[in-house]
Formats: sequence, C-alpha cells, structure tokens
Amino acid sequence: MRILILGAAAAALLHITPTVTLVDRSEVVARLLQGADRFTAREVHLSSSDERRLHDAAGWTPPDDVITFYLGKRADQVDGVLVFMRVDSPHGPLEVAVGFDKAGAIRGVEVTKATVETKPWIVEALRAGLTSQYRGTAANAPSAAATTVKGKVGMMAEYMAELIDRGVAHAGASYRLFYR
Amino acid sequence: MLYDLRRSDARVRWLVTLLLATLGVAYVFGAWMVGMYAGFTPRSVAATYVEPSMMNMSMPAETTTVVEHDVTLEDMGHEEQHQVDRALLIQDTHVHVPMYGVIAALLSIVALGLAIPRWMGFALITLLFAAPWLDFMGMWLTKLASPRFAIVTLAGGWAMGLGYTIVAALAFWQMWRPEKGAQQ
Repeated sequence: MRILILGAAAAALLHITPTVTLVDRSEVVARLLQGADRFTAREVHLSSSDERRLHDAAGWTPPDDVITFYLGKRADQVDGVLVFMRVDSPHGPLEVAVGFDKAGAIRGVEVTKATVETKPWIVEALRAGLTSQYRGTAANAPSAAATTVKGKVGMMAEYMAELIDRGVAHAGASYRLFYR
Repeated sequence: MLYDLRRSDARVRWLVTLLLATLGVAYVFGAWMVGMYAGFTPRSVAATYVEPSMMNMSMPAETTTVVEHDVTLEDMGHEEQHQVDRALLIQDTHVHVPMYGVIAALLSIVALGLAIPRWMGFALITLLFAAPWLDFMGMWLTKLASPRFAIVTLAGGWAMGLGYTIVAALAFWQMWRPEKGAQQ
C-alpha cells in the first residue's frame, strides 16, 4: 500500500499541467510587428545538413524540421520579423515570441504560453524585468537576460528565465542562419 | 469472499465513495482537456499525434526549401492544432502510464468488493487496465504507423470512461441502496 501511495504521489507530481495562454498571438503580432500592413509566413524546411548546422550553433533542432518566420511588411518592405519558439521542460512546454527589427536586432520578447504550473514562476520572472533585457540586442548576441534576474526571484522563476533565454537563443540562431 | 462492499464498515464505503467521486471529477476535467487539445474525432486525434511527414509534407532530405505565403493578422492569431511530437509523447507516456496503472488498480480494488459474478470481475479488471493501454497504444501507432489508429486512442478513452462508470454505478448502488440503509 505504501508503494501504491508513493507511486500515486510521484505520478501526480510529475504530471504536466494544461497549457495556458499568457498573451494572445494576435496581440503579440500587433505589438512586435507594429505598423505592418501586410504579413507573410516564410516556412523554412530544413535539410539534414542545415538541421545539423543549427544543432551545432544552438544545440537545438525544430520539432518538425520547419521554422516559420512571420514577416511584417510596410509599403512592401519588410519592417520586422517574428518567430514563435516552443521550449520544452519537465514542467511542460512554454512558447516565446521573439520579434526582430529590420536591422536584425531584437525588438521585443513575449512569453505567449505556459502551463498552469509554470505560469506563476514565469510571471514572477517577467515582473522582475526579464524581457526588457533582450530589447535592442543583436540576433547573434548570447542570451543572458536570466542572469539579470538571478537573486531577485525564486529558484523556479530563475529556471523559467533560463528557459526563456534558451527560446530567445534558438530564435536568434534560426534568424541568423536561415532568415538573413 | 471476505471483502464485500455491501457488508463493509461504513468508513470503508465512505472512503470508496469519496475515491470514486474524486476520480469522477478528474475524469470529467480530463475529458474537458482532451476536448480542448485533441478533440473527440479520429481526424482531430490523428492531427494531434501523427508525424508531420505523414501529412502530405514531403521533406527534402538534401535541400532546404523555403515556402512563402501571405497571411492575415487573424491567421497569425489563430491557434494551431495542438500537436504532440515524439519527445512530448515519450514524456506523456512516462508520466501518464504509471498514474493510469494506479487508477486502474484502485478501481479494480473497488471492483473486487462488488457482488458480481467471477467472470464479470475478470472482465471488468481487464477493461480497466486495457483502456489506458489502448489509449497510449493508439497514440503511438498513430504516430509511427498510420493516422487510422487514432480510432484506437478514442476507443481507449471511451473504454476508460465506461470502466469507471460501471464500477462507480455498481459500487454506489450496492453500498448505498435505500433498502440497505433501512435495514441498518
């Protein structure tokens, strides 16, 4: 019986909680591709060699070997690019939206999805000013915003900040290697 | 058999009642969540679990290809079909199967205390354990073999609901039927 109870407790603790939307994608698009009057989706289907190149650069490959860049255009000129990145963790996936300006610098980062369990930790990290640290950094700059909230937030919020850093790094590598 | 819910101590019956009620709530919300993320039709379940390579996406092995198309703001805001890739399914299987095993075991323990024929007890216990097996077998077969196996996942889900309903209905009836209360 003791094993049964311990097993149930362990399974309950490991259970991934449902996904929650922190910000609607349409709101993110309106903010990170502000002013665009036309949008294009550019789907990059990676070959095995490009997949390896991305893996060598970022230690990551997209789940379906496809990266989708959303281009915001103004007067037929690309004004900004947006990419949504999913980052998996033992506590469930989170989704990070990373917007780039036309010069290739990060215009903004928003966390669009979390899980019921991770939401409070992510909100804590965001309230500590995590995402403002990314603004203006180049796509090839190392993502180290998590270090700026270290000590200001709890341990799990620090961990979430590291996951968000990872999502931004994946977006940066994707942009650098396959968009520009 | 010594263990008979009809003649068990009221505390045991109360425990079983609360256990079944709690599992019932969990099942209702589980079904709600399935409705939100995977749906209840073979098509939507297949879209959730199938490998993208099976869905008319020819992946060039040697060349990176780029496809561009115009999208509207609404298209971009539109939530894509929730998809469970292989890594997530491995994780899901790892965390769900033990819990399903524990739930099936708890319901089987309740079933052992029911006044039902021996063969029906065997059938009920088999159903309780077969349901999660079917559920996850369907997900893996949908991913690895063919989208047609989505029906196996649906069968597993319905079997899970059926098993719980049979155990709960019989247990509630046998433990708390009015004439029994009147005798006491």
